[in-house]
Amino acid sequence: MQDSRQIVLDRIRSSLKTSVLPMARASIPPREAAPSRDYAAMSQSFQRDMETVGAKIHRPANDFAAVDLVVDLIQELGGNDILAWDDAELPLAGLPYALHKAGIRRADHRIPNDDIGRKQKLAALGALRVGLTGASAGLADTGTLAMISSPTRPRLASLLPMTHIALLPINRLYPTMAAFFAAHPAVTQDASNLVFISGPSRTADIEMTLTVGVHGPKYIHVVLCP
Amino acid sequence: MSNVTFYDRVEDALNNEQLKVALTRTTSKLGGLRLNALASLPDADGVRDRARLIRAHTISKLADYLEQFAANVEKMGGHVHFADDAADANRIVLELAKQYDIKTVVKGKSMVSEEMHLNHEFEEMGVTVWESDLGERIVQEAGEMPSHIIAPAIHYTREQVGDLLHDKLKIPLSHDPAVIVGHVREKLRQEFLVADMGITGVNFGVAETGTIALVENEGNGRLTSTAPRVHVALMGIERIVPTLDDLSVMLQVLARSATGQKLSVYTNLLTGPRRKSQTTGEADGPDALHVVIVDNGRSKVLGTELAEILYCIRCGACLNACPVYQQIGGHAYGSVYPGPVGAVLTPGLRGIGPWAELPHASSLCGACKEVCPVRIDIPRMLLKLREEGHEKGLAPAWVKMGLPMYRFVATKPALFKFAIKASGFGARMLAKMQGNGGWLNKLPPPLSGWTEHRDFPPFAAKSFSEQFKNRK
Repeated sequence: MQDSRQIVLDRIRSSLKTSVLPMARASIPPREAAPSRDYAAMSQSFQRDMETVGAKIHRPANDFAAVDLVVDLIQELGGNDILAWDDAELPLAGLPYALHKAGIRRADHRIPNDDIGRKQKLAALGALRVGLTGASAGLADTGTLAMISSPTRPRLASLLPMTHIALLPINRLYPTMAAFFAAHPAVTQDASNLVFISGPSRTADIEMTLTVGVHGPKYIHVVLCP
Repeated sequence: MSNVTFYDRVEDALNNEQLKVALTRTTSKLGGLRLNALASLPDADGVRDRARLIRAHTISKLADYLEQFAANVEKMGGHVHFADDAADANRIVLELAKQYDIKTVVKGKSMVSEEMHLNHEFEEMGVTVWESDLGERIVQEAGEMPSHIIAPAIHYTREQVGDLLHDKLKIPLSHDPAVIVGHVREKLRQEFLVADMGITGVNFGVAETGTIALVENEGNGRLTSTAPRVHVALMGIERIVPTLDDLSVMLQVLARSATGQKLSVYTNLLTGPRRKSQTTGEADGPDALHVVIVDNGRSKVLGTELAEILYCIRCGACLNACPVYQQIGGHAYGSVYPGPVGAVLTPGLRGIGPWAELPHASSLCGACKEVCPVRIDIPRMLLKLREEGHEKGLAPAWVKMGLPMYRFVATKPALFKFAIKASGFGARMLAKMQGNGGWLNKLPPPLSGWTEHRDFPPFAAKSFSEQFKNRK
């Protein structure tokens, strides 16, 4: 395919000779290092901001309580079949067994490579009501979950179902997005998708009336794992 | 462009009572939300200064950063195309549609695609295009253009939306936003899951990693860039930031300025297509990613005194703050980009010729510069464009006639003094006759244009020079 790359780049270089660009410096000065990680303060801030946007935060006392909570939540929502990350990605020992015992089945989430298979799989996954994921990180200053895609961490688990349950170990909290990037400089090289989620899917396109559950989850439960 | 003039569109907008209500609700609400959100940021002014530094530095080395960005997208398995203008960009996207045998396209919000009139091109080709952002879908079904950069359908009431979508999408009739959204979810979900190609815009391209950042609230951007087998991302050449750290700074001010959120619900960072390792590969995502980098007049703007407008991050705050936009809304501007940013960008990109009125659609009050997250000096550039319009003989009639008249009078002190006295006397007489508490709702020609849509304030009883003399 013919391409205008050189034409465009040449014109930009030529225009830059006459540009009026206020405040343009040769480099951007470095900034202060991110604040240190105070887990108590971060989980408080994370919880406040997540709740402000309508997510529900659970803080079970220990892993056993957390496992019971997740199983109960899924059963309340009537999801015998769920869209979930793989066992190794769920940061709660004992949860896979508890799910199995409760008769909760996890759909095969791998999207086939052929077109027909792809669409059939998408239609099947699109009918599931509960998504269960871990979380790669949490951002304290905005109340945000970070999800990194992988063979065992499908993007769609936090996107298609009406309810998303996310398990976030407190030691994966970072004070800011900048701090998270600083700690994981290669994060975008390892995965095609890193998504920051700050609350339920929403719109204000009709008369600026806030309405949740547009295309993504309407309900978000974050389980802060100790 | 049709031969409906800017003034006709303004006239229509000002006579549209529904629009007035919708605009007042929206712009004032967004303005308030923005202030609260910025207050939640420690050292908001410092962050805005840094955001400005980042934009200025990036634009000053734009070609280098674009090359770095393109190389990294390709390294991660994506494809990069450069488009000279809108026609070139359309050609690229339509060829991709042919190459991948595309029958249906689902689209996220993209202002660049509005510049290209892409939906129209697809229709001609027989490809079905579904807008997936709710506001975009409303204006698509209505056969209109967006009237706001971030809230495309703000000129509609809930009743109008309910009726329109009932009629076009065949969903049950309701005027309750929550119910409408529920039906739209079901209807559009089917489209996402069967579409062959997803097209989105790009908020930022990160040069050091080849990452595309896509910011949204509904989840339609996520679905569009995940479910279909091909993802095409359209970005303007100026949408670059050097590093992930710089991106985090821009994201601190973007959502706060746009919708008053600390961060939008979904910030998608997309780097290459779905990974296909020898073992398993990623669970989902598009098989192919194409990034189309569109110039369409931007590199020309870059060489002028309007280059600073390329710092813009499309938050829409200047629209909400602008007293002119608050009155006339987006459609009156007649351009893809409305409001103060559009009044600079449109004549810059497309030439001043057909757009000479736009730089005059401002009182130069400076509210746009005040709210801009990267502190773009829009009033400076509006003046520059007015000057250019005047030099090319494109200034509105009242400027062409008024300025020489003013010069004639103002350069003769006696005549000037007399003119001031006479006009003050005349104005007070008129005001008395019109009985509006001193305000004039009608001035005689050639000043009648001024009072057509607004009142003229009362004159002081004594002129400035008289008051100054008495003070001594």
